[in-house]
Amino acid sequence: MQHLLDIKNLSVDFHTLQGRMKALRNVSFGMKKGRILGIVGESGSGKSTVLWSIMGLLAPNAKVIGGSILFQDQDLLTLSEQARRQLRGEAISVVFQDPMTSQAPLLSYGRQMADILYRRREMSRCEKRGAAAEMLGKVGIPDPAFRLDQYPHEFSGGMRQRAGIAMALLTGPNLLLADEPTTALDVTMEAQIIHLLRDLQAETEATVAVVSHNLGLIAELCDDVVVMYAGEVVETGAVRQIFHAPRHPYTQALLECDPARIVERPARLPIIAGELPDLTSPPAGCIFADRCPYTLPLCRTEKPPVVVGTDGGLARCHIQSGAVAARVPGAVMPAASGPLARAANEAPLLETRDLNIRFPTEGMLLAKLQGRQPKGLDAVLDVSLTLHPGETLGVVGESGSGKSTLGRAILNLVSVTTGKVLFEGNEVQSLPEHKFKPLRRNMAMMFQDPNGSLSPRKTVRALITEPLQIHGIKERDLDREAERLADMVRLPRPLLARFPNQLSGGQARRVGVARALALSPRLVIADEPTAGLDVSVQGEILNLMADLQAEHGLAYLIITHNLPVIRHISDRIAIMYLGRIVEQGPAEEIFRHQHHPYTASLVQGVPQPDPDRKRAHRGLKGEVPSLLERPRGCDFVSRCPNARPLCHEAKPPHRGVGPHRVIACHFPLA
Amino acid sequence: MSGYILKRLALAAAVILTVLVILFSLLRLVPGNPVTIALGPQATPAAIAHYSAKMNLDQPVWVQFATYARNVVTGDLGEDIFTGRKVAIIVGEQIGYSLMLMVAAMGWAIVLGIPLGCLAAVRPNTWLDRITGVLSVGTIAIPSFLMAIWALLILSVQLRWLPAMGAGEAGDYGDQALHLILPAFAVGLGWVGYLARMVRASMLEVLGEPFIRSARAFGLTPQRVIFSYALPVAILPTITLIGMGFGGLISSAVFAEVIFARPGVGKLIYDSVQARNFPIVQGAVVVTTALYILVVLLSDLLVSWIDPRVRRVL
Repeated sequence: MQHLLDIKNLSVDFHTLQGRMKALRNVSFGMKKGRILGIVGESGSGKSTVLWSIMGLLAPNAKVIGGSILFQDQDLLTLSEQARRQLRGEAISVVFQDPMTSQAPLLSYGRQMADILYRRREMSRCEKRGAAAEMLGKVGIPDPAFRLDQYPHEFSGGMRQRAGIAMALLTGPNLLLADEPTTALDVTMEAQIIHLLRDLQAETEATVAVVSHNLGLIAELCDDVVVMYAGEVVETGAVRQIFHAPRHPYTQALLECDPARIVERPARLPIIAGELPDLTSPPAGCIFADRCPYTLPLCRTEKPPVVVGTDGGLARCHIQSGAVAARVPGAVMPAASGPLARAANEAPLLETRDLNIRFPTEGMLLAKLQGRQPKGLDAVLDVSLTLHPGETLGVVGESGSGKSTLGRAILNLVSVTTGKVLFEGNEVQSLPEHKFKPLRRNMAMMFQDPNGSLSPRKTVRALITEPLQIHGIKERDLDREAERLADMVRLPRPLLARFPNQLSGGQARRVGVARALALSPRLVIADEPTAGLDVSVQGEILNLMADLQAEHGLAYLIITHNLPVIRHISDRIAIMYLGRIVEQGPAEEIFRHQHHPYTASLVQGVPQPDPDRKRAHRGLKGEVPSLLERPRGCDFVSRCPNARPLCHEAKPPHRGVGPHRVIACHFPLA
Repeated sequence: MSGYILKRLALAAAVILTVLVILFSLLRLVPGNPVTIALGPQATPAAIAHYSAKMNLDQPVWVQFATYARNVVTGDLGEDIFTGRKVAIIVGEQIGYSLMLMVAAMGWAIVLGIPLGCLAAVRPNTWLDRITGVLSVGTIAIPSFLMAIWALLILSVQLRWLPAMGAGEAGDYGDQALHLILPAFAVGLGWVGYLARMVRASMLEVLGEPFIRSARAFGLTPQRVIFSYALPVAILPTITLIGMGFGGLISSAVFAEVIFARPGVGKLIYDSVQARNFPIVQGAVVVTTALYILVVLLSDLLVSWIDPRVRRVL
């Protein structure tokens, strides 16, 4: 098959303070015309660098030091900047990762799209507008002629990404590059965008390259796959080959780590031990040798050859060339800690009863003058939860579901409007801070963004002993305490002297865990504990959390949108939609059978890392409505596939189904 | 947009009212009776009683304030103690000169500073960037009264290229423009560096934003990326700064008007303070405050015109 784009021996260096980082080394692969290629890899794999090399928009400190990128018989790397600019947006276009930040905030969509058509001199302004409106309609934006005059901030997240796709396809490019096109979106939106991309590709016959770390997205969308690791292509092949019979140990390990693929609930999640090699002086042998379970001395000294498989795919591994015998690796997974005996009849550690949190959206004055309650939005509505010592409760929801507000309210960071929060049987909601402070020793928070929540000016040692200082605990030796905590979260002691920006994502998370555990709390509230982590590292943090729970009897309240992850660590799950719990029950049961249609669409909406298990259904229609426009009747009625008249009239009450499950639905799924 | 403008106008009115209250109370807080100060130690009790009644000082405080506020709103700012002329007319005569100086000073600073900042940001760490950096910091650091005196000595006294004193013949615009050059140069110079630094910093930040990379990825020309995509975002904080800077300009105009012997509100306030002519001081402060609030309002409206996101908040 003809290649639209051929990358040969592409090498790119980055000049950094640590020296020349060899970000890409001899990267070669082709893109077949009219197919969708997935470039998959974890952070530091160089997948984005490949994309920006094709566009010719590398960061100023990057330098292409060799190779060629053939596109329609010309080497892009030898073209002048002007000639490359002619291709950008015309022959090659890009869909960006985060539509929030990648669209000009001060220009209307009509203006931005007309700008993209600036080379079309023969088109009048009116024609350009028409073309833009047509394209917006094509990507599923209702009333495009009106929407054209709106600005990005007036679009919802999913609509913005649709508009981003419309902008990229406006000129009818031959090659469409998509950089993590669904990473910033909720699960139900992700499914919609995947379908849209696939339909548009079939219609326009464009060649598409999708860069992503998300194996489910790649499996569902792509025909061919390129797997990258630490700046090298380790394996290429057709999507079924890669997902069903991966040849490179890295591909195998990566697939094993994806929680969405793991059907059974294992005691421990698989991980890839070790870290990325230092790319300022890449190892002489195989790039993956340090983390590979099959490594033999040869792997460390000699670069593995490229071996072409029967299907035309390539793998760079000594096992494939026959130089190293494949053997059954030793125990990849550390021994499992025994399952915890959980006392369900024990008194609950944390309880919320009919918790409501309302944020006013207008001042008291105006409402008082008109003699009514001030308008507001209900961020949390009738939430009742219980959490026992040693138990893990997962709170799952999309953005705007109120899950983070709930976590903050429990920690008394947001005031509760009505309802109760009971901690160890005592009411603690809306206590003044001086009364609540002693309780904070028993309830800790693990924050979502580890780097954003760590002061950049403090060392790790100071950071993890900070809780002790805040609570004025003087009798303990802080240095010894820091070492104890570092050992506990398996953070190497030399890292104690470092600053947060010198840590990797996984290490920063561990500092976050250590800070949360510094005062030996009984309850830990973890907000998206693995967001932004690579799958190979994510397991490490979750395993660590499980070990610490077994050891100290911690109770976890985990707030997340990531269903596959929550499945593996939660005992019970509560699904939230627009601030209300729609379904609650034991994790295993909920994954086996869903009563609420929203839960069902979430569970089935997770993209499966298996090309043969592509989702048949189209996911949910529409988007999560704004909290300001809560639907009448059931909150979910605007998107529910089985909504009936009653659902438009009355909010379904919470009711028990079986001994452990609570749902809020008039017509639960059988 | 109209709702936003209405809200802003209401807010501006509230600010002016607050300023009036403060000015009024400050005057009452000053020790001593204004009448005895005005009339001097030799005043007869009859004269004091006469003036007290004339100035409403025998009324309760809130009545005094209401009268004062009503007068201010209707444009009556009181009378000059010495000549008895209306303060509003005196200030009105002078404000034009001050406005001219402020607009000229800020105008040339904007015309030069913003492009310099843009250039420096587009080509960071080049010789152009470094030179503008050094010059900017230099002009910010040198006090502008020093610049005024140097400019006066060199260009006017030594070289005799430009007139040194006054505002030029009334009605002769060319002559007035000539007289404006030196003071405007002296007052605006610090702002050139200030604006250049400010624009450079925010421009550098904006140029690193993902949407700039998107615009480039769609093949837009560098000029369009900079002027249509980056500059409108980068300029927003600068507009607010310029609006607020006008307040500072009113006070820095005082020295320029004194050094160059120009008429103007600054000079008027300076002279009136020296002569303890309080009604004029008070009236001039009210007018300049209103002017300042008006400029800030205009700059905020300009920001909301450029940035559709701002219109929704407040």
